[in-house]
Amino acid sequence: MSSAGAVASYLARRSAQKERVRLLYRRGLKDALNWAVHRHLFYQGASDLREEFEANKHVEDLDHIDRLIEEAEARFEKFRHPDPYIVPWAPGGSKFCRNPPPYPGIEIVYNHGKEDDLQ
Amino acid sequence: MAAMRNAVLRHLRVKVGYPFPAPAGTVSFADILRRYFSQDATASFLDKSEVLDRVITVVKSFQKVDPSKVTPTAHFQKDLELDSLDTVEVVMAFEEEFGFEIPDNEADKIDSIKAAVDFIASHPQAK
Repeated sequence: MSSAGAVASYLARRSAQKERVRLLYRRGLKDALNWAVHRHLFYQGASDLREEFEANKHVEDLDHIDRLIEEAEARFEKFRHPDPYIVPWAPGGSKFCRNPPPYPGIEIVYNHGKEDDLQ
Repeated sequence: MAAMRNAVLRHLRVKVGYPFPAPAGTVSFADILRRYFSQDATASFLDKSEVLDRVITVVKSFQKVDPSKVTPTAHFQKDLELDSLDTVEVVMAFEEEFGFEIPDNEADKIDSIKAAVDFIASHPQAK
């Protein structure tokens, strides 16, 4: 039981770490895009970010990986963009909950200024 | 300011009549067509074949992908030999191509072209 349990816990921890790294990379990429005022600056930033991730690609020790992830997350939090780009309709965006479509049963007739009382 | 306004208004003639032709009593079909709302509010779903075409174009133009291997059922890591970070980049490329935002937990699940097409085609804001 103990060896199977050890393998299972190792795999569980490993997959959790992989997920954290994927999420961190995704957020880091978006943050690089937020900081970049031109596209070519983003390409450079994304490439640097990728290199930093690749540098620790072959680390095997689980505790070491955990420590690396924590350091990276702390760094991400510290240098995160204060005013990130949000797609307008997404939560927090400028169009979020604005101008919702009317209820389906309601009929609005726009007569474009040609209302009856103006005849 | 008021004196200036008066001076201007004294020489100005504003037509009081109603400039449009008298409206017909009924609402024409053209009026119904003209009745649209904000593009974002009345978002619609994209056609699945169109989504597939655009997804395949995006994946093919990805640097590390061999374009000849891209098929509608290809898995990013098994068939296209990308690693997990490349997959993250591809998903971000989808977000930019379709101009919408994928939540982090959903983005993690997109691991093949089929999954991407299904998600994008079922998302009302993708355009």
